[in-house]
Amino acid sequence: MKVFQVALGILAAIGGFVDIGDLVFNVSAGATFGYQLLWVVVIGVIGIIVYSEMCGRVAAISGKAVFDAVRERLGFKAGLMALVAAQVVNLMTLTAEIGGVAICLQLLSGLPYRWLIVIAGLVLLVVVWVTAFEWIERIFGYGGLCLLVFAVAAVKLHPVWGAVGHGFVPHLQTQSPILYAYFAIGLLGAAMTPYEVYFYSSGGVEEQWGPKDLGLNRVNAMIGYALGGFLSFALMIVGGSLFLDKGIEPEFLGSITMGAEVPLGQIGLLLALVGILFAVSGAAIDTLFSGAYNLAQFLGWEWGRYRHPRGAPRFTATWLVLLVLALGLVMTGVDPVQLTEYAVIFSAVALPLTYIPILLVANDRSYMREYTNGRVANTLGLIYLVLIMIVSLTAIPLMILTNVGQN
Amino acid sequence: MSDYIDLGLHVLDHQLLDSEGRRCGNVDDLALEGGPGDKLRVVAILSGPGVWRQRAGVVGRVAAWIGRGGVVRVPWRDVDEVAAHVRLRKQAEELGLGRGDDRLRPLVEKIPGADR
Repeated sequence: MKVFQVALGILAAIGGFVDIGDLVFNVSAGATFGYQLLWVVVIGVIGIIVYSEMCGRVAAISGKAVFDAVRERLGFKAGLMALVAAQVVNLMTLTAEIGGVAICLQLLSGLPYRWLIVIAGLVLLVVVWVTAFEWIERIFGYGGLCLLVFAVAAVKLHPVWGAVGHGFVPHLQTQSPILYAYFAIGLLGAAMTPYEVYFYSSGGVEEQWGPKDLGLNRVNAMIGYALGGFLSFALMIVGGSLFLDKGIEPEFLGSITMGAEVPLGQIGLLLALVGILFAVSGAAIDTLFSGAYNLAQFLGWEWGRYRHPRGAPRFTATWLVLLVLALGLVMTGVDPVQLTEYAVIFSAVALPLTYIPILLVANDRSYMREYTNGRVANTLGLIYLVLIMIVSLTAIPLMILTNVGQN
Repeated sequence: MSDYIDLGLHVLDHQLLDSEGRRCGNVDDLALEGGPGDKLRVVAILSGPGVWRQRAGVVGRVAAWIGRGGVVRVPWRDVDEVAAHVRLRKQAEELGLGRGDDRLRPLVEKIPGADR
């Protein structure tokens, strides 16, 4: 029974891994550089595994979620900077995900985009308000599994497997190293999206994890994210096989679904659309709650998605306000795919502010006791911290130099 | 825990939990007593927007300009335990903590399904 439950959790995690950032960056990296950047996805996935495991362990042993750690280690003033950065990126991501939901609905129904934004907002609101949270995770996680159609598509497109294999070996072989670096940073940012750890750690605290859940935490982080990374490979391979030689830039979600339609026909298109719809809706809910978690934790308010809204009024009000704000932003007609690029790059800038406090708390023996970071977690944690710092410092210059990946 | 408390690291900016385990604010500052040469003692935990805005630079000045900021003083003798969180001996209402959530509750409750 336990194994069965763990398996279900992992399935939901795979479906929940991919969001609009992964879709956009993996497919366009494939369209621009073929399979060359696959190795970057591997690095990104290991990074999110290392830090999710750490955040989950901190949540289980100390009962602290990410922004508890940020507040206590950075203090009010520097912590506030981290909070503002996180909230801005989070709102951009939420807006992009909701826009993505509306685009999927449009491709499925043909109704006008603006109506569908309203419908998407209302549906998200009702689902979150009336559905128990364990169901939300399952519904969107399993629905997101339709994205596996891209794995089938990747095989059906008959890529040159030797070239795919070569893509997993770090190398630089291009006329435009700056654009290559921009995509590398985007892929790392998309794989290590900070809202994933906010949501994951807050969930661990809410479910009252303890030392006995550490095994589950490790399995969830390692297998769930690794298999999620497998979907990212598939997306990049599809992008590389389909778009590279044709000079097509997948600037619309619609062109991403072509990746499944071309090799598999109508059924491929339908599965891709449904998969994207569920994955992006699930990500919208995760980012929505992450924003409320962060603010509540930073200011010490009561919080929790498992509480009745009346049990955590300011937390509830926060996510309601965030939802309205994001809907307003989508309504301005901003292009979700372009916004996604900005959101991923800015999230790369803000990564260190999230991960440094976690690394510090995970090393505090006074509350982590025998579960304090060991050598492996610290070595990997430090290596990734250096990497994240480099990514953070170079993200904006690269974005400007490449004109947001256009040249 | 060890036999001393690191106020900067393990008390300041930590989550306050009341006797029922309710999250009711953060340790935004500490009140100390005793001049130079005297014995220095922690007498109270200070919590609330009126406290943190003094530590928040420009944002704090803006917050101060926008509105009133409550300051709640929790006597140190009401602190039950200093571990990962700071646990108090009394309920939040008794200490005047968590007022923002209490004020907003009637509004949120008006939305249908809020107490599902």
